[in-house]
Amino acid sequence: MKCPLETREDREILVAYSSRALNAGDAGRLEAHLESCAACAEFVRGQRAVWEALDGWEAAPVSAGFDRRLMARIAGQASWRERLRGRLGMLLVYRALPATAVAALVVVGVMLERPSPPSVPQRAKAQVEALQPDQVVRALDEMEVLDQFNHRMKPDSSAPEM
Amino acid sequence: MGGATAALDYDAELMLRVKDGDGASFAQLLEKHRSPVIHFLYRMVQQQAVAEELAQEVFLRVYRSRATYEPTAKFTTWLFRIATHLALNQLRDGRNERSQERLDERPEGMPAVEVEDRRPSVEQSMVRQAALDEVRRAVADLPGKQRAAVLMHKYREMEYTQIAKVLNCSESAVKSLLFRAYETLRARLAHMA
Repeated sequence: MKCPLETREDREILVAYSSRALNAGDAGRLEAHLESCAACAEFVRGQRAVWEALDGWEAAPVSAGFDRRLMARIAGQASWRERLRGRLGMLLVYRALPATAVAALVVVGVMLERPSPPSVPQRAKAQVEALQPDQVVRALDEMEVLDQFNHRMKPDSSAPEM
Repeated sequence: MGGATAALDYDAELMLRVKDGDGASFAQLLEKHRSPVIHFLYRMVQQQAVAEELAQEVFLRVYRSRATYEPTAKFTTWLFRIATHLALNQLRDGRNERSQERLDERPEGMPAVEVEDRRPSVEQSMVRQAALDEVRRAVADLPGKQRAAVLMHKYREMEYTQIAKVLNCSESAVKSLLFRAYETLRARLAHMA
């Protein structure tokens, strides 16, 4: 077997072997090489030491209120979006009133002048009105998702896990 | 690998159900991936409170992205890509003061660590703590991407291809990152054998 330390590409075999991720066939061939190559044997010893040192680093348990905090943030965000959507809706209505009045006057004027099919401003108004049920459906969907999430997460299930 | 494929399908399936408005599926995903994500972030930023704050942001982003979610990659690849992105930003912005938490500090709501009866002597604890501090410092001194690669490889047992997708680089770049990282760690920690 060619010495893995000779090329950078082959060195990963030593890393894989040290982390016990090498398949049995390759591991066997490498072990035979390690018996006669002090440099590779030293590399593997050092790598195993790193691996074991990292093994000793355990992560702390997750705090008990993690899910509750996340749920509150999601709920807060949803209600914020609903409030914003409501305000934008109101704004749209208030903004739309003068525009609609102007559009209506234009339409009336045009109709008096020359009877014709519905004008563009009327279509625009219809689109604004058509958006409202869609917004309501989306808000209801969001509330339903949160309700299901709440139902599933009570009581808080963020049990510590290592 | 069959199990991993099944897990991929199931996680993606759950996420698609979240997309369809199923909040219970989101809770299932959270239950399954909460600890791995927090532990990864903790080892990245080395502060439990910061790690949990970042993890909140990760799951919030997952939830917010539900409408546009498409299962084009493994769910965990997507999840750890978000987590890694946030952790690297955190490190880059220098908000991580690298202050090691004292053993008696723990975030609000976190249970006290149970100590077994057969606890080591004070001297053994001190030696163990010193070794642990050395490991933490050695990992903290690695450049961000090397650190992320090592943590995913060592603690999540991710394959090179998946780490490459998370870090948005080639598989050979991951091998190179890992090799350099382990070389650095070996130089610092090999004496601990």
